[in-house]
Amino acid sequence: MLIHNYRFKHRPLIITVLATALVLLSACTSVNIDEYKSQQDLSLSQGESVVILGRRHSSNYETEPDLISCIGDILKQENSIAVIPEAEFVDDLYPWLEPRTAPLKVKDMPRILKQPLVQQAFDRHRVRYLIWVDGKTETTDSSGSIGCSIGAGGAGCFGFGTWEKESDYVAKLWDFQRLENMGEISADASGTSYMPAIIVPIPIIARVQKSACKAVGLQLRNFLMPDNGSPPVI
Amino acid sequence: MRYGLILTSLFACVLSSGCSNNLLVSGSFPSPLIDSDPHTLGVFYDDTFRHYTYTEASEERSKWTIEQGDAQRQLFNTVLGKLFSSSVELSQWPLTEGSELAPSVDLVLQPKVSEFQYSTPRETKFKIYEVWIKYNLSAFDREGQLVADWLVTAYGKTPTAFMKSDEDAMNAAIIVALRDLGANLSLGTLRVPELKVWLENNPAHTQIAANRAQ
Repeated sequence: MLIHNYRFKHRPLIITVLATALVLLSACTSVNIDEYKSQQDLSLSQGESVVILGRRHSSNYETEPDLISCIGDILKQENSIAVIPEAEFVDDLYPWLEPRTAPLKVKDMPRILKQPLVQQAFDRHRVRYLIWVDGKTETTDSSGSIGCSIGAGGAGCFGFGTWEKESDYVAKLWDFQRLENMGEISADASGTSYMPAIIVPIPIIARVQKSACKAVGLQLRNFLMPDNGSPPVI
Repeated sequence: MRYGLILTSLFACVLSSGCSNNLLVSGSFPSPLIDSDPHTLGVFYDDTFRHYTYTEASEERSKWTIEQGDAQRQLFNTVLGKLFSSSVELSQWPLTEGSELAPSVDLVLQPKVSEFQYSTPRETKFKIYEVWIKYNLSAFDREGQLVADWLVTAYGKTPTAFMKSDEDAMNAAIIVALRDLGANLSLGTLRVPELKVWLENNPAHTQIAANRAQ
């Protein structure tokens, strides 16, 4: 009787621990980062901001908006760098940053900046750096199968599934004042997710895109704030 | 027997609705960041344009019904209202006997949808929805003489990953296509050679009135 009471009392705790463990289960992801910096003296004055934009001109993929906001969130941590939300900036500059019209190279920037209204919009936002992110995350391989059935006695699944994802992103940092490409960061991430199912499917997910986002975000932070403190004031 | 018939009908309904998608396109468009031409534009949207609905005719594809009349009218009004100093919607064109064009209107524009195409991930194996729309634009002077006639294309695509349903994904792709159309209209309309020459040779009514006042 005592044992029964003990089990009953701790059941919610056991369920919570198990649920948390399931949520926390994640497969490994490997990330490779390459960086190229054309100038060492990157700086961001007080009040200046950066904008991160995804490339959307390719015919068979487009850079995911949630990756762009994820990188922005990393730059914004501890209110260190002011980041203008992508959608807000693209709408304010419409139609100059649409896939059809956006400059693909930094030397194309003067073409749109010769429009006084565009120049004024950049000045209004106090943009110092434009960061263009190009790339995608895709499922490259998958195998296995899971079967589920339902009957009078209950329902359950049995089987094993696995899939592999790869992320490949390049971030280019354009200095709006100098109109120069200040550097590039490329991140390749890959990981395999598993889903064993014995009555209940247990997803063990490799957060590939999240890892790529974190790698690019931290590297960009390091670019803009080399001392890892607040941005240097000129 | 009766229950059997009801069940069969329900089953048939579920099966038939499983392959049909109905979409009323909705979205908003930002005002373009461009300089305005001083002319006043009259825009005429005929009923086909106002209520433009694409209905998939192919037996081999999903039965899409896409109503985009309101969305495309909203886009044209937003862009043309900024591209010209003033833009007014006309209730009829060409004018019938006894009807008159507002004196301020310098030029009349009539857009028409000439082609609409789409592809879904099921067909292309890419995880994106794509939409192509081709518009035919005709510009007339106050007397109804054709000034310029040209084609404008629009393209939009959206990954499925961020979308909740086929309809949401298709809606997003069409909104991207309409934004693309807006970019094309904003930056390309005043470069159409015949229109450019006409605008240079025919000062706006507002300019003429201002010159007279001086």
